[in-house]
Amino acid sequence: MLKQIKILTGLELCNIYNLNVLRFSKDRKRKKKELSIMILWLFLIAMVVFYAGNLSYGLLKLGLADLIPAYLITAASLLIFFFGIFKAGSVIFQKGGYDILCSLPITRTAIVASRFLRLYVENLVMAFFIVTPGLFVYAWSLKPGVSFYILGVLSILALPLIPITASILAGAVITGISSRMKHKSLAAAVLSVLFVLLVLYASSRLSVMEETITPEMLKELSSVVTGLLKKIYPPAVWLGEGIITGSFATCLACIGVFVAVFAAAAAIVSVFFHSIIQNLYATSARHNYELKSMKANSVISSLCRREFKRYFSSSIYVTNTIIGPVMGCVLSGALLFTGTGLITRSLPIPLDVCALMPFVISGIFCTMTTTATSISMEGKNWWILKSLPLAPGSILNAKILMNLLLILPFYLISEPLLIPALKPGSFSDCIFLILIPAVIILFSCVYGIAVNLHFPVFNWENEVTIVKQSISAVLGGMGGLFLSVLCIILVLLVPDEYSTLCRLFLCIVILGITALLHKKVSAPDAWQRYEL
Amino acid sequence: MLKIDHLTKHYKGSNKGVTDICLEIEAGDIYAFIGHNGAGKTTTLKCVAGIHDFDSGEILIDGTGIRENPLLCKSRFAYIPDNPDLYEYLTGIQYLNFIADVFKVPAHRREELIGRYGNDFEITSSLGDLISTYSHGMKQKLAIISALVHEPKLLILDEPFVGLDPKASVILKNIMKETCDNGGAIFFSTHVLDVAEKLCNKVAIIKDGSLIASGNMDEILKQGQSLESIFMEVVKDA
Repeated sequence: MLKQIKILTGLELCNIYNLNVLRFSKDRKRKKKELSIMILWLFLIAMVVFYAGNLSYGLLKLGLADLIPAYLITAASLLIFFFGIFKAGSVIFQKGGYDILCSLPITRTAIVASRFLRLYVENLVMAFFIVTPGLFVYAWSLKPGVSFYILGVLSILALPLIPITASILAGAVITGISSRMKHKSLAAAVLSVLFVLLVLYASSRLSVMEETITPEMLKELSSVVTGLLKKIYPPAVWLGEGIITGSFATCLACIGVFVAVFAAAAAIVSVFFHSIIQNLYATSARHNYELKSMKANSVISSLCRREFKRYFSSSIYVTNTIIGPVMGCVLSGALLFTGTGLITRSLPIPLDVCALMPFVISGIFCTMTTTATSISMEGKNWWILKSLPLAPGSILNAKILMNLLLILPFYLISEPLLIPALKPGSFSDCIFLILIPAVIILFSCVYGIAVNLHFPVFNWENEVTIVKQSISAVLGGMGGLFLSVLCIILVLLVPDEYSTLCRLFLCIVILGITALLHKKVSAPDAWQRYEL
Repeated sequence: MLKIDHLTKHYKGSNKGVTDICLEIEAGDIYAFIGHNGAGKTTTLKCVAGIHDFDSGEILIDGTGIRENPLLCKSRFAYIPDNPDLYEYLTGIQYLNFIADVFKVPAHRREELIGRYGNDFEITSSLGDLISTYSHGMKQKLAIISALVHEPKLLILDEPFVGLDPKASVILKNIMKETCDNGGAIFFSTHVLDVAEKLCNKVAIIKDGSLIASGNMDEILKQGQSLESIFMEVVKDA
């Protein structure tokens, strides 16, 4: 059994981060592309390390050094959990290669264990780069004993276990329920989004301070933050305290519990594994179709319909891209009830919330666009579009149109909520509230396509690798989010009297860039230019 | 109808591909393209279908270059790959309608053709089901119907008989003959040499990316030898 797990885990991990392709591919161009993608990942990791290091240094200066491990363990655990909810189900219950594995003398437990371990290794990398800088800052300034290092390493190794288990169980429940429904992918997507909203609501209730911060509380800042962390994720505090105090008993007890929970979850999932997979991929054919009268549609309408069908056929694709617009609507609705007072009071300096909110809403709406991965999602079907008499512009416009039509209902719900919530002081503020999100959404959709044309991946086994792990998803999907942050900074730098002019200028520039980008990507020679 | 003129295509970073392929397929031809695995058949067909770009040479469909005017060329032919990876999230009829929309086939004409070919291939009752529920053979039948629904003059087929049941194979052969009788042409790759010998009037043999023999079937089959023995002989000598 252990040997089977070892072999299968090796198989799962051999192409993690496309390392196998990088190692064996003889195509120099592909190798170069993979290397450039890897360099981009390294850049992102460097940013995470820099941020975690600075955060730890800040805590150190505030006299909260003892909280560094607990703080970073909580942050890493929450990130692993939230990223995991969307992909755990797809990774654990993926069909690719399952039929072959079933025909081999391998136990189901070994298959499940190898998939659990794959998720563990992937998340261990994330945990390592978040927690290690903090431990380094602590060790560099406070020179702790050897036990700190030993327990720190053991804690990093153990910390992904609980959040992965939680996300896998949530994913398994969602997959298990949706597998019994007719529209499985759509049901899984709706359940995932509802689950995330529920968790966010619960965590917001937990993290709200029961009382306002008083000077006495500031003196006791350490205990206040500890209390907060205990509310969010108590094991992080136990583990953190264990590392700082050098308590082997506390740490080892925590790690033991973590390992036991992880193993128990693997055992539970392996019991239901086969039936979930069978239900999930069961297809029913009725064989009772009778030819009816048909209707011809325009090419763009037909392409767009197909895009929608493709989109709703993948739960992970829907979940990842719909969460932004849903959150945008939730925020708009929440603002209607709470008003802007809460935001204004919580800001360290007085700011014109009404001028900035359209960018904030735009950023949330464009957290992940569908266009950023829509070319890659064609996968092995790409030959169909390429062999048809369709100009690249028609195909790409259909993908952009589909993304815009998907966001449109959320935009139409959000705007009427935002206007009474923010009560714009002038007509121009009102216009910008409507115009800025529309302009940024349009830009994000076109930008997503442009990035995916540069980084397409057609040869994939699991949609997770495209939707969550591809460089196109990271760089392209968040274009609107990055742009919104940039715009907020620019508006903040400009004196108030020029704010209207600045926002108008930004709208014109963004529209201009969008038009140029669109012209470039939809040129008739796009396939040759991007070597697709 | 189709002219491949000194076609050369090499995959970057490898020495695989095709070199200096010259072929001419005229109206009424059923042209077989044979060769061992990895010889370059699929590469050539994908270049003709506009899926692969190529390094040098020219591919002309009715005198129009596929590079110069890809849309016009693609509107004149239909291509079926060796592995029919179709949109599994669509039903069979949705897929056929999608293809018919792209080729702007009028509603009444698509009804007529889908009805006819659906019944011929005995797939009509399954057209309302998702393609993900189809067997390999059913997907192949659907791909064939989608290729015929816009009545192309040229059919480019990569291993079209793989996965088809005997009845469907006979029907496809009849459709191929009918297409040629009506002034169309077929260019297809196959490993089934018996079929190529009986069905085709022209044949080309490819080895390691280069054409080693091509021409009329009658001229190739000299002294009453079968295509199989000629193929083995030519491939051995080359």
